Amino acid sequence: MIKKQFPPGFVIAASLLILFIILPVLITLLSTSVQEIVETIADKDVARSIGITFLAGGISTAMGILLGLPLAYIMSRGNFPGKSILSGIIDLPLIIPHTAAGIALLLVFGRQGILGQLFAQVGLFFTDQLGGIVVGMMFVSLPLLINASRDAFSTVDVELEHSARVDGATAWQVFWHVTLPIAWRGILSGTITMWARGISEFGAVVILAYSPKIIPVLIYERFQGFGLSSATPVAALLLLVVLFLFIVLRWLANSLEDGKQSKK
Amino acid sequence: MKKILVFITILVMLFGFTSCKAKVKTPLIVFAAGSLIQPFTELETAFEAEYPQIDILAEFHGSIQVIRHVTELHEEIDIVASADQALLPMLMYQVNIPGTETPYANWYISMATNRLAIAFKPESKYANEITSENWWQILSRPDVKVGLSDPRFDAVGYRQLMTFALAQDFFENSDIFDTFLQDQFTNRIRLIDMGNIQIIRIPEILETTRQSHIMMRGSSVALISLLEAGEIDYAFEYESVIKQHGFEMLQLPASLNLGEEGMDDLYGKVTVQMDFQRFATVEPVFRGEQIKYGITIPANAPHPASAALFINFMYSPTGREIMQQNSHPLLDPVVVDNINHLPPDLLNITKQ
Repeated sequence: MIKKQFPPGFVIAASLLILFIILPVLITLLSTSVQEIVETIADKDVARSIGITFLAGGISTAMGILLGLPLAYIMSRGNFPGKSILSGIIDLPLIIPHTAAGIALLLVFGRQGILGQLFAQVGLFFTDQLGGIVVGMMFVSLPLLINASRDAFSTVDVELEHSARVDGATAWQVFWHVTLPIAWRGILSGTITMWARGISEFGAVVILAYSPKIIPVLIYERFQGFGLSSATPVAALLLLVVLFLFIVLRWLANSLEDGKQSKK
Repeated sequence: MKKILVFITILVMLFGFTSCKAKVKTPLIVFAAGSLIQPFTELETAFEAEYPQIDILAEFHGSIQVIRHVTELHEEIDIVASADQALLPMLMYQVNIPGTETPYANWYISMATNRLAIAFKPESKYANEITSENWWQILSRPDVKVGLSDPRFDAVGYRQLMTFALAQDFFENSDIFDTFLQDQFTNRIRLIDMGNIQIIRIPEILETTRQSHIMMRGSSVALISLLEAGEIDYAFEYESVIKQHGFEMLQLPASLNLGEEGMDDLYGKVTVQMDFQRFATVEPVFRGEQIKYGITIPANAPHPASAALFINFMYSPTGREIMQQNSHPLLDPVVVDNINHLPPDLLNITKQ
């Protein structure tokens, strides 16, 4: 049936690409024994590193939602001069090399930076601190959430919002009770992507915060300093954890959606 | 029409810049100590101008890392330049290329020396107070950010620890080492006093604590940008590197800077050891001695002839001038370890 639907060669091209993604992941997992994985889980430094990685990823994603959703909504509904420039600014982190992003963040959040000095007043530091990891992750992954949410908001029929306003709902009530319930799935998908992109960040984070070591930095250090045999089990473990969480989150999103649809 | 234009623009952006590349050149793979990055980059430019058919691909790491790329990661490298020449016999003479009876190297040239010093900026905390007498007290203050390089990967890393250990004798104060390092790392770096010799033991996992005022990086040159950005107030660096970057420099006394001729008896009172099996086959012990850089061509170098050209070029008047200008003069006369194994192409430099 597939053959009839697609131009010849598409299926082959698609399969090759899927293999290109799956194979390295699979080989990494296969080159690590169960015993090595168990030992790696017991490794206190790895456990601490995973904890810090997920904590920083969680904080940066939460802040992304808090600050990014309003921006995404404005981008979706608003019609104002300079909108396309604003859209370009939002996409900037996607095209800046991540090491350059790290340097830029260091200049702003470092001990001598404008924001670094400001936050130092309240005892918040960024270099070699959790805060540095959070801003590094947030900077590079924010566009994924904003763009996905903007698209999700755009699928909501504006007429629906208008009629709610006519019926007396406030702008907040419309957003909360009309827009969000329809757009949430796209937002959730953007959230998951942002989180996943955040916890896998290396370049921007390593410049701002070499330690405490997040998993990508730990893998790099072990590869550089102790060799493949030391780095691969950590990489495999991270792959397993992330795959597990990714699948669970996707499944959760799908089943929630199905539940909602069957209620209708 | 517009579609075609857009398509062409994208194609040009994607591939346009790569097509500027000229014809294929012989690569020359150079792995060198981080502290050589400036002079070697200048050497590269001058060398490639004279030998346009050769393209130098240089990488700079902590000296231990440089050698690990050859002996443990099995990369085929043409030139190895280490900030500690003792690493070459220890890690390359003793290890055979897999499947052969040939060691990775069996000769090296003593290239240059250096001195350990403390780099800082006029804005660094207590910059107007620090002297060669009180530096260890200033660096131990909790509000002073100190950059250290990792003793597991880098020669400055273990040498700066030697300096602290030597300072105890020099200032007749047996608390200097522990005062500086206590509570800074999750696992302790220990100094064991064996009477006539002091042993520093490095734990396998070396992580700074959350409250630590030390920032550690994999090599001493990685601390440069942190010092420039004002993230750290002081860092241990080689004098050549400090001069190259124009930082303020606190020179250390001869007994502590590991750079003076004829003081190996004193420097040798300190030894650094790892608390763990760091290398597959050898257990490295770093003995205190005068800082000497070593350069060699690994036995499995893919382009040994080009490598010899580069070393000869470094010893040419142009090359020596470049090293001189970077405050890193080559040693004279040229001393070779195992001169009978030195490639014939290089014999000339020993006769200069």
